[in-house]
Amino acid sequence: MLDINNLHVKLEDEDREIIRGLTLSVKPGEVHAIMGPNGSGKSTLSYVLAGREGYEVTEGSVTYKGEDLLEMETSQRAAMGVFLAFQYPIEIPGVATMQFLKVALNSQRKARGEKELSTPDFMRLVKEKAAKLNVSADMLKRPVNVGFSGGEKKRAEILQMAVLEPSLCILDETDSGLDIDALRVVADGVNALRSPDRGMIVITHYQRLLDYIVPDFVHVLSKGRIVKSGDKSLALELEARGYAEFEKDAA
Amino acid sequence: MTTALVRTIAEEALGHSLPHRRMEDWRWTDLRQMIDKPYPPRQQVTEDVGEVERLLKASLFHGIAATRMVFVNGAYDAAHSRRANEALAFRAEATEPVQMMNAAFATDGAHVTLSGNADTPLELVLISTDAAPRTVATRNLIEVEAGASATIIETHIGEGSYLANSVTEIRIGEGARLDRVKVELEAREAIHLAHAHVTLAANVTFRDFTLTSGAKLNRQNGTYTFLGEGTDAKISGAYLLAGKQHADSRLVVDHRVPNCASRELFKCVMDDHARGIFQGKVIVQPHAQKTDGKQSSHALLLSETAEFDAKPELEIYADDVACGHGATSGDLNHDHVFYLKSRGIPEAEAKAMLIAAFVGEAFEMVAHDGIREALGDYAARWLTEHRRAG
Repeated sequence: MLDINNLHVKLEDEDREIIRGLTLSVKPGEVHAIMGPNGSGKSTLSYVLAGREGYEVTEGSVTYKGEDLLEMETSQRAAMGVFLAFQYPIEIPGVATMQFLKVALNSQRKARGEKELSTPDFMRLVKEKAAKLNVSADMLKRPVNVGFSGGEKKRAEILQMAVLEPSLCILDETDSGLDIDALRVVADGVNALRSPDRGMIVITHYQRLLDYIVPDFVHVLSKGRIVKSGDKSLALELEARGYAEFEKDAA
Repeated sequence: MTTALVRTIAEEALGHSLPHRRMEDWRWTDLRQMIDKPYPPRQQVTEDVGEVERLLKASLFHGIAATRMVFVNGAYDAAHSRRANEALAFRAEATEPVQMMNAAFATDGAHVTLSGNADTPLELVLISTDAAPRTVATRNLIEVEAGASATIIETHIGEGSYLANSVTEIRIGEGARLDRVKVELEAREAIHLAHAHVTLAANVTFRDFTLTSGAKLNRQNGTYTFLGEGTDAKISGAYLLAGKQHADSRLVVDHRVPNCASRELFKCVMDDHARGIFQGKVIVQPHAQKTDGKQSSHALLLSETAEFDAKPELEIYADDVACGHGATSGDLNHDHVFYLKSRGIPEAEAKAMLIAAFVGEAFEMVAHDGIREALGDYAARWLTEHRRAG
């Protein structure tokens, strides 16, 4: 589904490389965890996959569903099923959450040549998904993420994911700023979306999240490349030994 | 002002001197330079009924306003009006050049007395038709009786090249509520110069919203004078400007009595080479304790060549007041655009959503659902049509 091959990325207005030869392959149904210390390139990877401006790919390729992902517009990637759950979801004053979700879903459906959802059908869909994630009707009435607590923002991200039903989910430090109860709600939401035709990349600094979202593969990212891959036991090893050991290997 | 300036062609035709940049209030809008051709007053124009009807249909509130009074080229048009006009009894003094011209040239205007429950919107439609360049001057007087509740719309619309000079005087009686909505959709080759004089008695609730989107040159003055305690006024506005449009609003809010509140909120969108100006002055007179007066203006610049200037002023002579002002100016937030795009919303649509949200905050000040929706629809249409044209 996703093939990242020898990817090199730098900031547009800086010469320093942030991703330095990263190779990763995600197949449908697989959950990959990417762990790494601050500054290892985790968030850059998620932004490059989602199509944020300000980054320059200097080498390598990213193929998604057989097409060149890097050639696609951000909104086109979303319509093709790429979804990034933000580490810091953006607050957008003046845009109501429901209107935003409806325009997003119908834009994607339109881009894929599917019929747009009617308002009653859409409302039913959102209400059903929102209930499972403890997202209140009041939150849905408010502008996108405005006045939401940290936990509410993350739940709202997962709600968007549940409504948009992407085929590749990238979760960027979804655990940051969550207490254990909120973490559980979010993890349950993510686990409910695990399916044989959906791939996931779970980016995290801490092993804790992976107790709840159990990955098939764990990769250690250091200085812009994957220095070690393994199964879920690698996460525990990492927690015990710390990142320093791996950084030595990478150097 | 006694310096002997050589009169410009425009001044010759008007028989009056025009304000210029050395007058502080006009520093950004030098009419002497900007009005570069003659607009003679009191010209006879024969209008085409088809054109009048087309312009009436172009009002944003066609079908919303239950009652309508129509003025075509400065004359009351009984055939298209659904309310009789009362005799004009204008009181506001003309103290500045544009107003003096209005006083000299005005041919007609609405005189309306509103009493009881008049919440079904009354729309004044001021039309200028396509003819030789000329001044069209109108003078309106709106009196809201004590205890009345009313909604009034003022639509300025036209075709061709003209100078509309409009003065509206509004007197709001004790305990009354008035929602006023003004929409400036003059022809793109037109000039719109306007004054609104509002006096507010005690315990009044007043909402004033102005949409500025037509005319190549727009200057709107507003004076709001608090004469009775316990009154609350919210004055808001939105600019949707493109091309080389120029719009300058100058508001003076004068708190002469204690215990009143005023709010000003302007949301201004400028694209291409458009220029927007907001000058707001809040005066708190010595006895006007417990005044709560705040103003803010926010600009969204959609191009590198668009411009916005804000000049907030506070003149406070009382010591127990809460007053403040704020002004911001910037382009669309890139993080907002990226977030919407990352959810599948194409760039143009994402930007349109964010611009609509930006001006929408000013529309929120309008209480009437139908009027607010019509304004929202106009903003959405403006975004697509002007972008397509650009």
